[in-house]
Amino acid sequence: MICLENTVKTYRTRKGDVKALNNVNLRIEKGEFIVISGPSGSGKTTLLMTIAAMLRPTSGIVSVEQNNLYAMSIRARAKFRAENIGFVFQMFHLVPYLNIVENVLLAGGTATDNNKNAKALELIEQFGLAGRNYHKPAELSAGEKQRTAIARALFNRPKIILADEPTGNLDADNATSVLGYLSEFHKAGGTLILATHGVEAERFADRTINLHNGKVANPDKS
Amino acid sequence: MLGPTQSKVQEYMTILGLIFKEISHRKINFALGSLAVMMAVALFISFFTAAKASNRETARLMLSMGFNLHIISKDTDMNEFLLTGLPDKTMPEQYTEILASQKQISYNHLLATLQKKITWRDFDVVLTGLAPEVSPPGRKTPPMSFQIERGSLYVGYRVAKALGLNESDVVQIKGKTLKVAKCLSESGGVDDIRIQCHLRDAQEILNLPGRISEIRAVDCLCFTPTDDPVSILRKEIGPLLPEAQLFHTRAIASARAKTRQMIRNLFAVIVPFVVIACGVWIGVLAIMNVRDRQQEIGIMRALGYGTGQITILFLGKALTTGLVGALFGFLLGTGLASIFGPKIFEITAKTMTKPELSLLACSLVFAPVFAAVSSFIPTMIAVTYDPAVTLMEE
Repeated sequence: MICLENTVKTYRTRKGDVKALNNVNLRIEKGEFIVISGPSGSGKTTLLMTIAAMLRPTSGIVSVEQNNLYAMSIRARAKFRAENIGFVFQMFHLVPYLNIVENVLLAGGTATDNNKNAKALELIEQFGLAGRNYHKPAELSAGEKQRTAIARALFNRPKIILADEPTGNLDADNATSVLGYLSEFHKAGGTLILATHGVEAERFADRTINLHNGKVANPDKS
Repeated sequence: MLGPTQSKVQEYMTILGLIFKEISHRKINFALGSLAVMMAVALFISFFTAAKASNRETARLMLSMGFNLHIISKDTDMNEFLLTGLPDKTMPEQYTEILASQKQISYNHLLATLQKKITWRDFDVVLTGLAPEVSPPGRKTPPMSFQIERGSLYVGYRVAKALGLNESDVVQIKGKTLKVAKCLSESGGVDDIRIQCHLRDAQEILNLPGRISEIRAVDCLCFTPTDDPVSILRKEIGPLLPEAQLFHTRAIASARAKTRQMIRNLFAVIVPFVVIACGVWIGVLAIMNVRDRQQEIGIMRALGYGTGQITILFLGKALTTGLVGALFGFLLGTGLASIFGPKIFEITAKTMTKPELSLLACSLVFAPVFAAVSSFIPTMIAVTYDPAVTLMEE
């Protein structure tokens, strides 16, 4: 279970403080598929990064499975993230000098292991990228890049996937395909939190949380 | 079906693999970084080689000007000595051995001589006996002076001409039979009226067994203008030879010191300047590299990679840049030295064409450290990037 209590995140800018998260209270049960929707700048990405143990809130508590994330050391948080959370981004964030297999393997750390290799190749095949194993990101289409990013996110068998506008750079067919893959992760028991300002993902989700100016606009659903 | 590809994948996912893959992806960045190191190393190698060659060249030129350190008996009449160049008193031959057995000293090329003005076949000559040159421990270098075998005689130009002597002639000097081994060419100095033989032969001729009149030497100090070489040498030699006195031919010594000092000064000014410039160059390239890789750092952080691994990734690249630069810098520096060196340093030209492998070892150690130090700040920037901020920048 993911729990945010009175979470505030304030960014200091030259023009003054900006509250990206304004006293957010949220409970996400294990295995839920949540869509966080809202216009650009509403705080969706900040919320995801906060849940991802990557962005310390200004105040409040963020816990995942009863682990208070920001009470942990940086090293412990990194380990927790590697073991429990997978990421999918709008810009894919694939490492440009690594091929598909290596990008997927990157999630498994730098130690070589035959099982890891087999697992990576299996995932790649599962995502219909088998013929592209040794292609670099620059040689892939947007859809292929995002499928690689999902394969990487799934590599460590995470309990949670955080997806930030995963279909933002894809055409309709690829967007449906990507949502389908993410939906399969959810159906297999994973917790999926997907931030988007579109509506197409909502039909796959258990519930939608609307963010406006850093506040949950539909608190009854939080 | 997965078998063959598995083994191919397996090799790459190490930090070292990531470093090499990144290098091959951003070839220009790597090439420019290596170029900076290469230039610094090449300059260092060529300057060092030139400085060393210059020292050798100066030493050789100075050697041709003769010994600059003279040790004579304390009882020698200095006025007479300065007028004639011949000490009128002798001292024990063992003095040479005492000096040659010292380790922490500032002289070399010890040559024991016995000299006396004699009249031979109605011709005034300077008979000079020369002992084989000796060096203190660990300072063995090729001799500067004649190495005359026993029974042989080297005859000065004017003596040979006046007495009609030729090589292979057998002559008698005060009952001692010697064979003319060489008739020397004209020197325009006292050597033209000198006859030179082995010290033992001269001692026999002059009936002065175990005695010498002078020890000549070369000081090994590279003096700065503020040093007083005579007091340094007197402090070293005085306690060893209380019955001797020392004097120094300043013109020769200071010419040598100034030449060496000049090369050192040039080296001291140019090398740090180039090293700093190349360091800044590498640093700027590293900052550009870090900026290019912000998202990569962000995603690696998100995937759980720690500060240590990110640091190794960047410093590892810097070390690789340093190694490659050092290797090519050594080749370039050695190449330049071997092409241009012999034209500049004609006397010691042969030594310029041999690569100095000790410099390669130094380069391979120091250049990677230099590149890593130059990349330190950019690396620290990389490890302190906030991954959330980077990944949020869509």
